[in-house]
Amino acid sequence: MGQYGILLDINLTTKEIKKTPVSKSDLKNFLGGRGLGMKILWDRIKKPGLNPMSPENPLCFMPGPFSGLPIPSSSRTTVVTKSPRTSPENKKYEHSSTVSYANMGGFFGPEVKFAGYDGIVVLGKASSPVYILIEDDKVEIKSALSYWGMGTDSFDKALIEKYGKEYQSCYIGQGGENLVPYASILNTAARAAGRGGVGAVMGSKNLKAIVVKGTKQPQLAKHKMYLELLEKARTAFREDIEGVEYWRSGGTAHALQNSSNNGTMAVRNYREGTFKEVEMINTKSARTQIWKRDFACFSCQLACKKSGFAKGAYGGVVHDGPEYETGTMLGANLLISDLAGLNKMIAICDDYGIDIITTGGVLGFLMEAREKGMIDLTFLDGIDLTWGNVDASIEMIHKIARRQGIGKIASLGVKALAQKIGKGSEEFAIHVKGHELAAWNVNVNAERMMITYATANRGACHLNSSSFSRQNNSAIQDSLGACSFAGGWYKNDISYRKFIEAITGEEHTDEEFNQIGERVFNLEKMFNYREGFTRADDKLPERFFKDAHTYGKGKDVLASHADFDKWIEKYYTERGWDLQTSMPKSEKLAQLGLEFTL
Amino acid sequence: MTHKETSRRDFLKKLAIGGGGVVILGKYHFLFGNEPTNGLLKAIVVDFDKCTGCRTCETVCSAFHHPVQIDGEQLNGLGNPKLGNIQVYHFNPDVDIPSVCANCPDTPCVNACPVTADPKAIRKSIYRDQLTQAIRTNHDVCISCGSCADACNTERTGVIKMNPKTNHPEHICDQCGGDPQCVKYCPFGALSFKDVDIKGAYFGLSPQEIAEKLFERYYEAEEVING
Ligand code: SF4
Ligand code: SF4
Repeated sequence: MGQYGILLDINLTTKEIKKTPVSKSDLKNFLGGRGLGMKILWDRIKKPGLNPMSPENPLCFMPGPFSGLPIPSSSRTTVVTKSPRTSPENKKYEHSSTVSYANMGGFFGPEVKFAGYDGIVVLGKASSPVYILIEDDKVEIKSALSYWGMGTDSFDKALIEKYGKEYQSCYIGQGGENLVPYASILNTAARAAGRGGVGAVMGSKNLKAIVVKGTKQPQLAKHKMYLELLEKARTAFREDIEGVEYWRSGGTAHALQNSSNNGTMAVRNYREGTFKEVEMINTKSARTQIWKRDFACFSCQLACKKSGFAKGAYGGVVHDGPEYETGTMLGANLLISDLAGLNKMIAICDDYGIDIITTGGVLGFLMEAREKGMIDLTFLDGIDLTWGNVDASIEMIHKIARRQGIGKIASLGVKALAQKIGKGSEEFAIHVKGHELAAWNVNVNAERMMITYATANRGACHLNSSSFSRQNNSAIQDSLGACSFAGGWYKNDISYRKFIEAITGEEHTDEEFNQIGERVFNLEKMFNYREGFTRADDKLPERFFKDAHTYGKGKDVLASHADFDKWIEKYYTERGWDLQTSMPKSEKLAQLGLEFTL
Repeated sequence: MTHKETSRRDFLKKLAIGGGGVVILGKYHFLFGNEPTNGLLKAIVVDFDKCTGCRTCETVCSAFHHPVQIDGEQLNGLGNPKLGNIQVYHFNPDVDIPSVCANCPDTPCVNACPVTADPKAIRKSIYRDQLTQAIRTNHDVCISCGSCADACNTERTGVIKMNPKTNHPEHICDQCGGDPQCVKYCPFGALSFKDVDIKGAYFGLSPQEIAEKLFERYYEAEEVING
């Protein structure tokens, strides 16, 4: 109950479209979203080493059991696939890579549920560009030739024009079409499943978009209980005026100022933790200079998104931003403080559909390598990439998205760039397992941030956390279709667990419920382990052991390798993982019902 | 200029020239024109600066108007937003426009309905409910001609859509019998239940028309990407 038990299975090579049943136990044990997506990935990728850009890589669009119900902030869709971004230290297979899961808000996931599916799995590769059109049970593969080459913004406009308000869609831009490995997938007003190259996998299938319209909703197990919980949840948000106002007034962008003050911001390619010009891009500046309105995802009371619009040289663009990640990675990390320029850079990246976090990491790395004289103007195709330079950054973004000249190698990320450049540049190539770090710097909260980044199953990820229990909890959130920003409200008598009981009828104890998150996390881990990722891959760039910040909070603070070893062993022990290999112990796997991974 | 703009302008001009008038609806008489309405007619009014496009209003409207029977009890439905009488339109560049029946004093929709009123019932297939003053429909006598939808669409908000299966008009706000759910549940206080004001800046406009006004207000210029 509460779920359909049906996946929409589409093979773009054979054009076969079918409904595949999902077993009751998978729905119970993995819920939906990130969890069920991981289970599908495990079931379908039978052997390690699959080329993530090959037709055989399943691309799963996963709403969760909350999706399609107006539970506050239940808008998220997780895209799960095998990552084109990650690689281990010692490649066991040519195409060893981790799982990738990237999560977007907006309206797409709920609509997939309305159409009658718990998820969409796309396999194969179309012979020419296509999009998938879903109207409840009617599913068509349609030519996207006339849309190929369009940026996400003009494509979004074209879809609104053609399909109108009853349809929701997600799509790639030229980034995904050109197979930029860190391409993203977007839906309505630039909500991005940004990380881990999910857009590249979509592009590799010649799939421009999925457009969906649905009229259904699944029957709930305990309808009345659900309505009561819903009323309570709505009230909890309504009554917490201050808590809600934090998100409405600035969203994650509030963290720009705070994080800089705390020395935890990625500044100057992670060399520093405090941005001296942060006032120019903080929420106060954004609110007075560029933010025109707040907007929300499906059934959300927080409305953390902001339409930014500026005039002047970089003006004329309407776009959501900056928020914390985009503002830091394309702002502070590059010493860019021109708010209009920053907003324009964010808009351009989203229009191409490339991951802004990674793009900011790549630009920061190149700026530092240039400053250190490790590369010259020729290497950069004549682009004068210096700190704070908006125009040069924009030029470089065009090169990356189009994979032209320097863009060819820059589109592979900082790990590949450092391998090419050499000269010790890998010390400031800021990635874990090939995936660039997000906008939170490491030194000030070294234990927390090192464990967060080192142990994330998709490679460096800020949404992972450092404690195993919180990691498990976010795996649950991502599996429900719930937004992590609203997680704090779902406690006590309106817990996620209670909602699941009302929706599906499954009565979990707290312990059993938490175990779902642990199960998801460990299945991801086993997937990675099978690909050849071991303890040697759970590591941080040398920068974080060598370069203390030179000013601000956290000045002169550094962790040692011995500290890190101690922390990671503590973490493995708590997780029930082997200290040498990092593999989950067989008792742990048995306890979680994951014996099938052995 | 579109047909719609013409008729709207004519409508306002007539009002301006006439300087007011009296509409007779069943037993009810009320003034419209230069004077504010006398409070008999109310409608859901949107503050577009506050709306975030969360679509909560669609879901609560849908849940309320499409109840389910569970163990002999009538309960709110799950609220598929498509079934809401209020509908939120998203535009690019970002603006969100909740569109809902304006409860027009001169009811182009009712006027357009060709169903000859039963002499005793004095009401057409689409009519103003004398108790609540909201527009209601009686599908039993509806001939599915779509005249009401055409009239609303050419002259006003365009909220009426013909249901593709039943071919009867729908999405007309019945104001939930006086306690509109959307107003109650909008998390952002963007909706209020107010006296109809035909001189309001957005009265009776379609989502597209409102969006254009808002584009200008927020974004002033045509936006260019990658320019
Ligand atoms: S509930 Fe309120 S804020 Fe949300 S879409 Fe409706 S009018 Fe806008
Ligand atoms: S908005 Fe449309 S349905 Fe409502 S009263 Fe006016 S014409 Fe009739």
